[in-house]
Amino acid sequence: MNLSHRFVNRLAKPLAACAILAFIFSAKSSEDSITDAQREFFEKKIRPVLADNCYKCHTAGSEKIKGGLALNLPSGIRNGGDSGPALIAGDTKNSLLLEAVRYGNRDLQMPPKSPLPEQAVKDLEAWVALGAPDPRPDDPAAKISSGGMSPEEGREFWSFQPLSKAEVPEGSHPVDYFVDRKLKEKGLSASPSASRETWLRRVTFDLNGLPPTPEERKNFLADKDPNAASRVVDRLLSSPQYGVRWGRHWLDVARYADSNGLDENLAFAHAWRYRDWVIDSFNNDRPFNEFLIHQIAGDLVPDANHDTLTATGFLALGARVLAEPDMEKLTMDVIDEQLDTTGKAFLGLTLGCARCHDHKFDPILQADYYSLAAILRNSKNFAGTNTGAIKHWYEHDFATEEEKPKLKEWDDKIAKAKKAASSFKSSTTSKISGIARSKSVEYLEAALEFEPDDTLETVEGIAKRFDLHPRILYHTRRHLENAKDSPVFAPWWKFREKKDVAGLRKFYDDQFGSAVLAFNELKKEDAKATKLPDEVLESFRAAMFDKSGFLAVPAKPEHAFDEKDLAEFHRLEEEARLVESHAPDHPAAMGIADAEEFKSTLPIHIRGSHLNLGDPVPRAIPAVFEQARPEFPDDSSGRLELANWMARPDHPLTSRVIVNRIWRWHFGEGLVSTTENFGVLGDRPSHPELLDWLAVWFTENGWSIKKLNQLIVSSDAYRRSSSPDPKLDPNVDPNNRLLAYFPVRRLEAESIRDAILTVSGRLEPEMGGKTIPLRNRQMVFNHTSKDHTNYESLRRTAYLPVVRNHVFDWMHLFDYPDPTMPTGDRNSTVIAPQALLMMNSELAMESARAFAARVKKSGETNQEKIQAAWQIALSRDPSATEMKAADEFLTSSQGSDDSWTLFCQSLLASNQFLYLN
Amino acid sequence: MAFHSLLGSELAPGSQAHIPPRAKRVIFLFMKGGPSHVDTFDPKPLLDRDHGKPPPFELPRVTFAKSGNLLKSPWKFQQYGESGLPVSDLFPNVAQCVDDLCILRGVHGTNPAHGGAALKLHTGSDTFVRPSLGSWVVYGLGSENRNLPSFVTICPTLAHGGVNNWGAAFLPQRCQGTPMGTASSPSKAAKVKHIQNPGIGPGPQRKQLDFLNQLNRESAEKNPHVEALDARLESFELAYRMQTAMPDAQDLSGESKVTKKLYGLDDPVTEDFGRQCLLARRFCERGVRFVQVTHSDSEVQWDQHGNLYQGHTKNAAEVDKPIAGLLKDLKSRGMLEDTLVVWGGEFGRTPTAQGTDGRDHNPHGFTVWMAGGGVKGGMAYGATDDYGYYAERDKMHVHDLHATILHLLGLDHERLTFRYAGRDFRLTDVHGHVAKAILA
Repeated sequence: MNLSHRFVNRLAKPLAACAILAFIFSAKSSEDSITDAQREFFEKKIRPVLADNCYKCHTAGSEKIKGGLALNLPSGIRNGGDSGPALIAGDTKNSLLLEAVRYGNRDLQMPPKSPLPEQAVKDLEAWVALGAPDPRPDDPAAKISSGGMSPEEGREFWSFQPLSKAEVPEGSHPVDYFVDRKLKEKGLSASPSASRETWLRRVTFDLNGLPPTPEERKNFLADKDPNAASRVVDRLLSSPQYGVRWGRHWLDVARYADSNGLDENLAFAHAWRYRDWVIDSFNNDRPFNEFLIHQIAGDLVPDANHDTLTATGFLALGARVLAEPDMEKLTMDVIDEQLDTTGKAFLGLTLGCARCHDHKFDPILQADYYSLAAILRNSKNFAGTNTGAIKHWYEHDFATEEEKPKLKEWDDKIAKAKKAASSFKSSTTSKISGIARSKSVEYLEAALEFEPDDTLETVEGIAKRFDLHPRILYHTRRHLENAKDSPVFAPWWKFREKKDVAGLRKFYDDQFGSAVLAFNELKKEDAKATKLPDEVLESFRAAMFDKSGFLAVPAKPEHAFDEKDLAEFHRLEEEARLVESHAPDHPAAMGIADAEEFKSTLPIHIRGSHLNLGDPVPRAIPAVFEQARPEFPDDSSGRLELANWMARPDHPLTSRVIVNRIWRWHFGEGLVSTTENFGVLGDRPSHPELLDWLAVWFTENGWSIKKLNQLIVSSDAYRRSSSPDPKLDPNVDPNNRLLAYFPVRRLEAESIRDAILTVSGRLEPEMGGKTIPLRNRQMVFNHTSKDHTNYESLRRTAYLPVVRNHVFDWMHLFDYPDPTMPTGDRNSTVIAPQALLMMNSELAMESARAFAARVKKSGETNQEKIQAAWQIALSRDPSATEMKAADEFLTSSQGSDDSWTLFCQSLLASNQFLYLN
Repeated sequence: MAFHSLLGSELAPGSQAHIPPRAKRVIFLFMKGGPSHVDTFDPKPLLDRDHGKPPPFELPRVTFAKSGNLLKSPWKFQQYGESGLPVSDLFPNVAQCVDDLCILRGVHGTNPAHGGAALKLHTGSDTFVRPSLGSWVVYGLGSENRNLPSFVTICPTLAHGGVNNWGAAFLPQRCQGTPMGTASSPSKAAKVKHIQNPGIGPGPQRKQLDFLNQLNRESAEKNPHVEALDARLESFELAYRMQTAMPDAQDLSGESKVTKKLYGLDDPVTEDFGRQCLLARRFCERGVRFVQVTHSDSEVQWDQHGNLYQGHTKNAAEVDKPIAGLLKDLKSRGMLEDTLVVWGGEFGRTPTAQGTDGRDHNPHGFTVWMAGGGVKGGMAYGATDDYGYYAERDKMHVHDLHATILHLLGLDHERLTFRYAGRDFRLTDVHGHVAKAILA
């Protein structure tokens, strides 16, 4: 058993025996019981060592104390830190302090940078053996750790308080009732309603992620019915484009991606099933409580089916360090990712912060974290298969018995194609090697003509004269430089010195010739022979055949092969890649399943380390939640119980968090602006009563997101103009949290691209299905760094592949969130590369051309065409100054074929197109 | 709604510095795959003596592959310069600059696989996606130029962490590294994407921008309360300037023949990496804060699990002269003083053999060197054990390396924080010590 294991096991055991020892030897902490000699020893030998080497990180009362261990106090040393007592008085064998300074256990070495001098270690040992007499004054009450709230304190914090629904007067719109009350309180004047066409553009982008068509605009403006607006909302909510838009919102939260993209970027070629399930869920208005339960435990619900199994992809989509060789670390890292994502996505809790210690701010204890981790520990996250060092994630198998043999055939085809490429590589290398060997003497002769630091160009000239491979010759010379003492090549240096070319040729001809001859003879006698018995001859033979010897063939085919062979090799490689990319996938969905065996406890991992295990804790929800605590039966993993508890209507966080998200997606900012954090460091609600009212109403109305959408967009607050009222005092609410006017917002990445494609008439309506052009688990990037994903599809952006680590420019540059972290509140930055994309990219150019063609057909005069362009792209007529500017631009560029394209491209790049009023 | 602008919000150079800066910029020469320290800058005589014997020390709990017996270095070490520091025959040119090098022999990391180790080295985390070192530097110090990105990475590999290795994660987008080409493209063809319009000439494009500005100005004036609309006007002008500034920086025709030779541009073996190094100097001259140069190819370049001798010989031949050229060039231009050059891979290699002639990954002890930028030259700091397996004295974890690099730039790694999702994040998380002994 190695040291680290011993260390772990010992810590996991109760420390009763140590306590008795400690009692007997009880470390001397009061000054009275210390002899003068002991005091002198401590002051001279111990205190300086501790002060110089340990206090920096281990001093009570300082801002940070590593490992919760204070070495500046007698009680600090005695009681120890997270890993237990630092010393046991009198016990030099089992004192952690000594184990650490002895440097024998690689997982516990202190001081961390360099070992102490030998004498200091001996002194510390002597001190511990003496019973660790410590004359320093003690302060047992000193604050060692800086935790956050206790569970009891946490229950007083706003987000953990029970939900309550305030009365709304009859006839008032609940949203406006609460919003207007706040405005009135602050004396803020609300802006009037936006124009009808502005509202139409706003609500169409909001609910469908697309601009209204000129016809939709015309119809709406002509419809004088008081219900015209609500009919528009109904139309938008029942369009399948609604799911594409709102499902995409959730996919941000679920950190959706089509590839792993952490250390190794393998294709998640089944992730699309989860994406489509989310989009369908929004289109079918799946109740949010069910939506939640299926994502956490869809495999365990009574009516589990392909859909509910697919939903568990939520827990499987995280980025993982798939080549991590330490399986235990990987297991805990995966659980951590799942807990952190689940906490942020559904509960607005940063659970991940409690992995190494109690949460610094929120009422989440480290024990709570491991109680939740104990639930997830009972699941299967890996398939048990692998590609080299890369482990495969778990998938629910959907293949039928008929499909399986067919899929096996494809696997064989792929293997065959890959083999063809690698066999060609090795046979070509052998061929080159053989030719070089037949010219061994020529290589040595040619090498006389240059120095090792001559350029390859020089060497190429010489190689040509001798008909040799220039890169091999280049290497030969460098090899000789390193082999001055070798029996085979020392003669080369002598001939060189004497400038004796003929002698060199004769000598090596003889040696290599006899070696080869002798070996051929030997082989006739003994086919299994690998070596010549004559050592000298053997060394010459071995030199010729040494793959990294003086005739080494360059490892890179680009350096080794001639043009023809290189082209053939590349062709075979590409063929293998294409066979793999186009092979059908084994139908499956990424997900999570129960483990074969359940454990009801999990040890706390001290400082988050799987090598330092503390007390086991049972499966449970965090202690701060007092009501409705679920039981976790032994015959259950606990995941379904956890999901059911999260989906309770009286859960203080779940409904608050989701209605806040929905509000954020409508208004651009949440009532709580930190959508993933409802903790102490998060924002406080701008309208707490409104948040609660919506949360309760939501659960009372079947957890229906569409109903909530309807409620919000029917409010006056949603209808307001985006211009502040001239009477509004800008200093009272500078960030417009109270919504006196509607916030101007930039379109999200998807809407920008989708709108460009719509306006240019290029958008393809197809929905759903696999879109990443790779087979499951195929490498997205290997070392060639070639990007084989393509984004030429003209479908809605939600259907473009999301390659972690290499997100498509149009998404990435317009603040598409990092698809490894749950995001409910996207950024909206302005950076120059966005402008380059608008100015120079193919998508912008092609779309501008198509848009121009559409515009040119839409009228006779420039004015008519300009007006049509404005209506198509911006859902309104141009202002007088805009008309003038456009007309001037087109007139002055007359004669240029591209002037309409340039004009249309400008409109697509304009503020008016990208920013919604 | 968070709003960050490329312009306006940028602070004056150095204004965020916490401590007096010694370096203004960084060139990071990344040797992908893990060059062997015991064959380059960390000689181990006992390895020669005990060649072929089983290792007389305990192996780590987790290793990448099965470990064999001790394997001596196929290269000889010689002492160079006034400092007399030893360098192996793999780097005869860099050896000439040894008095400028601060060789950190006690570096260690945590992850024995390429991806995890590369992420750790570039972002400080092998578990989560976090902002890269270059992004933190740009976030902390802002830009020194008006026409180019502040963080450029030349021919990076898209494998093993890929974009994350130069990503901004949750930091403002402007901190993101701008890639030029990839490891699969020759540096000669490396370009920033969308930097030029394939169809429209500069004249018509200028006119188009003027028209666009008219439209944008109208919307900005109508909505004076929306800061972003103004910023967009600026962003198009900056983009327009970048279109000339970038090709300008890449145009080597003005460099003298002597300079080109210095970087090895006259030799097909060194041409590709030499061009990368020369570009790095040119970007630095133009005020780019952080330039990464990656030595990587369609294999994993320095990853010699077998064929150590041939592989390392080839790799070193490709980079030795260009790196020495860069150091000499920076020095002669007076730029080495405030430019920190960092050389290293994601880990080192084991002193034990893998197969007969290879070495496995070794994150437990390896060498990184620095030059210029306020570090002592001609110094070896830290040490591995007698065989070179574990860092043992004056150890520098990757976090310490980061803390030290930030310190040299005038940034306190404990104070350079960013609030995200309710938590203050740091490049060094809760770790990191500055290696004060190496400060000049």
